[in-house]
Amino acid sequence: MSESIDADDLALLAASFEAVMADAPSPGEADRALHNLGWADLLDAAPGPAAAMAFTALGTTGSAATLLDDVVAHALGLPITPEICMLFPATLHNNPADPHPDDPKILLQEDPFVVNGLVSSRINQATAVVVALDDGSGPVLGAFEAGFLRNWEATGVDPAHAYRHLSTRVRTELMTPIENNGNWDAAMATARMALAHQLIAGARRMLAEARQHALGREQFGRPVASFQAIRHKLADSLVLIEGAASVAEACLRDPDPMLAALAKALAGQAALTTAAHAQQVLGGIGFTAEHRFHLWLKRMLVLDALFDSARYLSTEIGRDLLIHGTVPRLIQL
Amino acid sequence: MDPETFRRDLTAWLDANARELTPPYEGAGSMDEHMAHYSDVKRALYDAGFGRYGWPESVGGLGGSPLLRAIVGEEINFRGLADPNAWTMIEVLAPTVIEFAPPQMSARLVPPFLRGEEMWCQGFSEPDAGSDLASLSCRASKTDGGWVVSGQKIWTSFIQYSQRCVLLTRTGEPDSAHRGITALLVDVDSPGITYSPIETMHGRLDFAEVHYDEVFVPEDRLLGEVNGGWQVAMDILPYERSTTFWHRGALLHRRFSDLVTQVSDAGDFSDSSAQAVGQVLLSILAFRSRSRDTQYRLAEGQQLGVETSIDKILITSAEQKLFETARDLLPGVIEFDEGRDAEMWRTDYLYSKAASIYGGTAEIQRNIVARRLLDLGPES
Repeated sequence: MSESIDADDLALLAASFEAVMADAPSPGEADRALHNLGWADLLDAAPGPAAAMAFTALGTTGSAATLLDDVVAHALGLPITPEICMLFPATLHNNPADPHPDDPKILLQEDPFVVNGLVSSRINQATAVVVALDDGSGPVLGAFEAGFLRNWEATGVDPAHAYRHLSTRVRTELMTPIENNGNWDAAMATARMALAHQLIAGARRMLAEARQHALGREQFGRPVASFQAIRHKLADSLVLIEGAASVAEACLRDPDPMLAALAKALAGQAALTTAAHAQQVLGGIGFTAEHRFHLWLKRMLVLDALFDSARYLSTEIGRDLLIHGTVPRLIQL
Repeated sequence: MDPETFRRDLTAWLDANARELTPPYEGAGSMDEHMAHYSDVKRALYDAGFGRYGWPESVGGLGGSPLLRAIVGEEINFRGLADPNAWTMIEVLAPTVIEFAPPQMSARLVPPFLRGEEMWCQGFSEPDAGSDLASLSCRASKTDGGWVVSGQKIWTSFIQYSQRCVLLTRTGEPDSAHRGITALLVDVDSPGITYSPIETMHGRLDFAEVHYDEVFVPEDRLLGEVNGGWQVAMDILPYERSTTFWHRGALLHRRFSDLVTQVSDAGDFSDSSAQAVGQVLLSILAFRSRSRDTQYRLAEGQQLGVETSIDKILITSAEQKLFETARDLLPGVIEFDEGRDAEMWRTDYLYSKAASIYGGTAEIQRNIVARRLLDLGPES
């Protein structure tokens, strides 16, 4: 943690962030309010702890603020401004012939090139979309004009959310290379660490909803929380959450990209399993639009896909281990 | 001493002495061979000083953080230098004995344990007191100058190699539950103690059934207070779940590396194998990270408690997932193959089934998480 910001400061800021997020009805308003709270300076002073705090607040409140653009832009050494919208990698398909934004080998060889990833609602005000490209020597950054994407409707399972799928073709002449010393792998690691915190906070929130319901709901003359089958589902959720939370926390001590990817995978698994258990414990009410549970469930699905799903990450890292034939000792005393 | 420097010095010493420290036996080795080698390794570590760090000076240690003990066991298990279960006994029992025994007694009894000259065992479970430990009935009655113990214990690991046993006895009324239990430190060679080994399904004789027939235990062998034995037992749990788990995690890491190497050598890079390997990595990592946090909390002097049930559930899932995956990715090896390698996979696979039973079953752990950590109220 940065020397300039201690744990007490962060706890205070977390409370302010949560209050702002809970109050602001739209992502744009939430973003502006968070900038007024000094979000950009905070990110500059202590990028890791600031992202962890802010994304925990996003997960707790369910806010759709578009802070991920800022986190990635900052990690790449780009200015923090609503003018720039980042293209985020995501697990979007199972076809190995399609380009995966993690591994954008073909982008510069084709004209028009394929853009396939997620963008935040910032796309509606941004002047440029920044993407990671591969010119043969590793990821480099480029930007293209975003004007033609304005006023673009959100679709999908979670329309309230800030992220949407962008799949289009852009002519190479519209692409401007960006010269900076940003490191794409490090930026992805930061994003995954942040999203892991958001998933974990969301999972805690779903667990709290299910717990509260189980204590209040009576069947057979007693609270359903007294039944072991229900207790064990909720206990399993807490175990997964705490395991994932510990690894997400470890990412703040060690910026290793593999650790961040594993933290994201664990958080995704914890969130999706908690969602399944919580929904079962909630019973009928959890299936209604009236109960807010579905908002978290849908958000978790989107967040799991963003910067790659638990399934994709664990398979790719598993394959890496098999290719190298060894296992690194992650997490030291 | 900071953990990093300590680890560097230790690994250099382990590398330099690899020949003497590597188990001499061919194949999986017998229990006798394991115990003899365990003693040698423990003694060598003691003489080199590494085995004394993290233990108080009052019992022959050199002081320092328990993190140092966690590191020693990690490196020993990571290299497979000593029987992992034998290694755990001192971590489980010594800290609690040091806390609850009169200082002059632990100063006399603990050092031989530390030097690997002695082994101790733990007499908790009974045939009718498994998950419901507080219902134990092995009775200790007051007599002149001490106690007379009569009853039966089960699952007492290593008693045939042990000099002392930390024993839980009933001193209150039969239905006094956890309020009427007293902990005693008993000499295993006391007249009236007989035991017979229990052969397990993985072919080892770690465990025994033990009969206590009017065994005299001197007054000064009381641990803690009369009828305060439950507190002693509860004090043991966090130690069992801190350094000991960290050590076992290192063993799981080594066996996972073995698996990855073998699958890789076989040229299997398929999606399904990659996914299975990734899932094991996630499980081991979640445990290891959680356990790392627990080691630091112990080192900072925090009171460990029921939250270590989470560590227990995580390590159990990791262990069972690892060896089930080994069976999937090394088809036929566990079922049919001969040789040292297959024998080790088979033993580890079968033993992993006990992980959700010993030290509090998987169900008891979830009950604790639900009641104490999630505050879900009483069970129906």
